[in-house]
Amino acid sequence: MRGQTWHRLALVGAVLVFTLFIAMIGDLVWQSLGVLSWHFLWSPPSEMGHGGIGPELLNTLVMVGIAALISLPLGLAGAIFRVEYRGAPGFLKVFDRVRFTFLSLPTIVIGLLVYQWVVVELGWPLSIRSGIVALVVMNWPFVVNIGIEALSGVPDTSREASMALGATSSQTLMRIVFPSALPALIAGLGVSTARLLGESAALIFTAGINVAVHWSWSMPGETLAVHLWYLRTESLAPHANAEAAATGVVLLGLVALVLYLTQKIAHWLKPRDYSRKSA
Amino acid sequence: MKPVTGRPRGDHLLYRVVWLGALLLLMLGFAIAAILVWGTVKFVIDHGLNPSLLGTIYQPTHDQFGLLPFIAGSLVVTMIAIVVALPLALSVAVTVIATLPRQMQMIRQILSGLVAIPSVVFGWWGLSLLVPSIRWISGRPGFSLLAGGLVLAIMILPTLSLLSINALDRVSVRWVEGSLALGATPDQTLGRLILSVSRIPLLEASILAVGRALGETMAVQMVIGGRVLLPHGLLSPGATLTTQLLTDISLLPPGIPGHYVLDFMALLLLVAMYGMVVLVERTRRWSL
Repeated sequence: MRGQTWHRLALVGAVLVFTLFIAMIGDLVWQSLGVLSWHFLWSPPSEMGHGGIGPELLNTLVMVGIAALISLPLGLAGAIFRVEYRGAPGFLKVFDRVRFTFLSLPTIVIGLLVYQWVVVELGWPLSIRSGIVALVVMNWPFVVNIGIEALSGVPDTSREASMALGATSSQTLMRIVFPSALPALIAGLGVSTARLLGESAALIFTAGINVAVHWSWSMPGETLAVHLWYLRTESLAPHANAEAAATGVVLLGLVALVLYLTQKIAHWLKPRDYSRKSA
Repeated sequence: MKPVTGRPRGDHLLYRVVWLGALLLLMLGFAIAAILVWGTVKFVIDHGLNPSLLGTIYQPTHDQFGLLPFIAGSLVVTMIAIVVALPLALSVAVTVIATLPRQMQMIRQILSGLVAIPSVVFGWWGLSLLVPSIRWISGRPGFSLLAGGLVLAIMILPTLSLLSINALDRVSVRWVEGSLALGATPDQTLGRLILSVSRIPLLEASILAVGRALGETMAVQMVIGGRVLLPHGLLSPGATLTTQLLTDISLLPPGIPGHYVLDFMALLLLVAMYGMVVLVERTRRWSL
């Protein structure tokens, strides 16, 4: 058909974009092949080469898991208030501006603030617990956003029907709104957890860039993303590039796993046929 | 029967709890702004209204706080990112909408997977491919504003493509069919109808992408070279507000004179992000 020049150009551009990403991930996997092994996954890092990422893997899982658990109720509360109770229009405007600004704040700024106030003023060590504080602060507005989007997806008619049957607002929330919003909520939490897994700027000055011999809340706890950055910028270890690539592969694998599992669960929870469920 | 007034007990408790949650988020948001303003005030107390802030010499231990190189670096890098990424993202969106509408759901899922790629991975890729290529082509060190901008462009591509697909997808099929039925070619329909009516959502998408690019630290820091002088060209190394924050938190720990210039830099970033939030609010109002 004639008159499709721009469409063809667009097709070329789109193919270019996808080739770029395939090449990028392929390059990462290719360069990591030399070092990726079970030994690499379990053993501690070493500046002499032949190290691994065992402690980093543990730190990442612990810090991200705990930060996600803490920020979940905090964020949900804000989201429930915003969607179910709203408040005065003036309050809503301020609330939305604060939450969007907070959400788009560069994570290095959050790192600076947590460093100044938790590490320096409160005297907490550069440690796993300081890192968790940074991750919670970073994740909070994101969870509020996810909650707001999930809860707004529930049609108002459901709420009105529930109220008309005599349910109180808390019963409506717990039995009607939450179950319908759950799939979207879980998918969103997967995205937020993936974002936490990849975070590094907020952690360098709060959780540190090395690992302790013995794991402890008050010891430095480098995560996978920070380790990748460290290997590629500061480390003098031989094969630092390959080790960085292998760390990247493990990190991408974790991110993909979290996204896949949460989407599966969300899909599985999605109600299909209300009529068959007995009350 | 007496009408029920007020809230039942459980409801009241729930209301209190979620109200507290919302309030805490607001307070934390305001606290962040207050801490940065307070740090800036301390900076002014320590150094006065330092005229060197507007200069180009940055030696914080010698009372020289020229932030111009970093502001310029941030702007240039973000500009490169959006100029490179926008046409590519638009071509992805146009291809998905016009050529592969049946695969839209799948492509959306792939793109949202790519959005989750950690930024350090982009930094790694920039170091292992982009910087050597620029070095090979130009004969310069390769660590440069250009490398930073290109890494950012690739980083924001999935987000921007996804938002562009959403924007173009909102155009009614009937309008498109009407345009084609009137004898417009697919290209004319694309340019004069689809892109034209979705220009405001596309603008909003670009603002969001600019915000993401401006706030990115790690990927840029790995490839930009970290030089604190005013860059004189795309191929010269430089620094941005965020990368300089990363470098200087360890070089200027609290207690060292000049530390509070970091709070001022962070405040600039906060104000920039607030400006973008207000801008997005405005564009939403235009599109109504």
